[in-house]
Amino acid sequence: MAKKKTLSEKGIILSFLLPSFIGFCIFILLPMIMAFVLSFTNYSGGPSYKMIGLKNYIVAFSNSSFIQSLGLTFKYMLITVILQIVLGLLFAILLSKEFSGCSAFRSIYYIPNILSSVAVGLSFMFIFEPSSGLMNQLFMSIGLEPSKWLAGSKDALNVIITVSVWQNFGYYMVLFIGGLQNIPRTLYEASEMDGANFFQKFIHVTIPGLSPILFYGITIAVIRGFQAFDYIYVMTGGQQGGGPAGSTNLIAFDIYINSFTFFRFGYASAESVILMIIILFVTYIQNKGQKRWVSYDIV
Amino acid sequence: MISYRKKKNIENLVKYFVLIFCAIIVLIPLLITISSSLKNESALFDFPFRFIPKKATSNNFAQLLEKFPLYTFNSVKVTLTIVIVQVITASTGAYVFSKIEWKGRDIIFGLYLASMMIPSQAVMIPQFLIIRKMGLYDTHAALVLLGSFTAFGTFLIRQFMLSIPMTYNEAARIDGAKEWTIFLSLILPMSKAVLVTQIIFSFRFFWNDFFTPLIYITTDKLKTLPLGMTDFVREQYVYWGPQLAAALISIIPVLIVFLFGQKYFIQGVASSGLKG
Repeated sequence: MAKKKTLSEKGIILSFLLPSFIGFCIFILLPMIMAFVLSFTNYSGGPSYKMIGLKNYIVAFSNSSFIQSLGLTFKYMLITVILQIVLGLLFAILLSKEFSGCSAFRSIYYIPNILSSVAVGLSFMFIFEPSSGLMNQLFMSIGLEPSKWLAGSKDALNVIITVSVWQNFGYYMVLFIGGLQNIPRTLYEASEMDGANFFQKFIHVTIPGLSPILFYGITIAVIRGFQAFDYIYVMTGGQQGGGPAGSTNLIAFDIYINSFTFFRFGYASAESVILMIIILFVTYIQNKGQKRWVSYDIV
Repeated sequence: MISYRKKKNIENLVKYFVLIFCAIIVLIPLLITISSSLKNESALFDFPFRFIPKKATSNNFAQLLEKFPLYTFNSVKVTLTIVIVQVITASTGAYVFSKIEWKGRDIIFGLYLASMMIPSQAVMIPQFLIIRKMGLYDTHAALVLLGSFTAFGTFLIRQFMLSIPMTYNEAARIDGAKEWTIFLSLILPMSKAVLVTQIIFSFRFFWNDFFTPLIYITTDKLKTLPLGMTDFVREQYVYWGPQLAAALISIIPVLIVFLFGQKYFIQGVASSGLKG
């Protein structure tokens, strides 16, 4: 950058930058800073509030329902990430090579992902209706105990996990198909000449070749897993929700309830800051760990 | 010992069997929704389940006539506005981050990227306070403003524009073309494919978006489809038929867009993974 920009050049740059930058500043950057400040106050929407230091954080960590909520969130995140990534990878491998009908299968598995999570939630509520719903009919007809599903504290979270996996594994499948198709055929041919079998090819060619995208997929799945909200609101009780005995009260939902049902803005901000720190920390750990298994030079 | 060809055939057969079986499992909830939305309340829990209703009825849809045409209209209006606004902010942003050199460019673009990691819950409360301060609580303008910035869209289009050689810009600049002219009549037309991908992605997202309307819209008249659908959740008694009919109405437009724009969906997902 040798020459200095003239005023009109600066004006041109601004005219391109501002449409997105204004929105970014007002609705992302400023709120980020405000969230930190709010988390140290007892703000509840009214005109009077004061700084209360770390009290919100102390209250959160000594509150058993918050701890329970964190635990449930980790459980939900781990299970959905594992199932979505494994299923996504499995179907990506089955469908990455061209054969007649493969694009139809790809589309079918991807369809749930484009649907509204509210609509999906409403449909699955019907399927998992707690007395004579279709899932219970199916269970009874093959001699299994019927369940109360969303109305019971034992299975409510499992139903939500099932629905989430049903809706999202197709996204990871499409992501991974793109990655698999970028692995050069010659690598497979070379390993075949060396006498590698299917599993050896999988470990030594597929996984390293796919690893950058696999890593990206896992990162996305983890971040989304921490933020599950829609199904919980729709399927386990709306504004008063959180499932029987708080069994589906995941952290994102807890933050929402504390904000907009109880108007504990200060406390909810502290919760959201904790959530953000957890996400950044987990992503940081993943980034550290990636060096051991992600290779960027194979393709 | 079976021949190689025979083994390959059996393998293929098993593969198709597994794929078809799984496709059925994936599609069954949709088929259940479609067929149940056409049934009378009394026939909904008949055992065994009938995929073709014994007596089809449009009753469930008729019950939605009071509120859902307006919800649908609101959804169309809000979604289209946001899609247009996003295409403008994302493409101008993409251009300034890929085709013009200036100090601080990489820092600001880095901030944009980093913002993708921030959970929406973390900025939800301050956003609410800002919108309330602007006097826009319970308006569609709130939804549009909050949807105006897209880090993902900016990133997606920028990646594409980076692949267009700078020589186009340089040649046009030598000919004396203004930056906005180059953007509007040279670079944008070349980026058509990625713009369609961006439009389809933001259409899908905001057509389905539930979280933002839930926080900002309270007036019945202003509700969008996903928010309006949760009326069913709040009521004491469950009306399964209309509930499923409503779910069906909300997924049809996205299904139609998907049918025509499949390859853009696939491209969008795939390119989001490249050099993420």
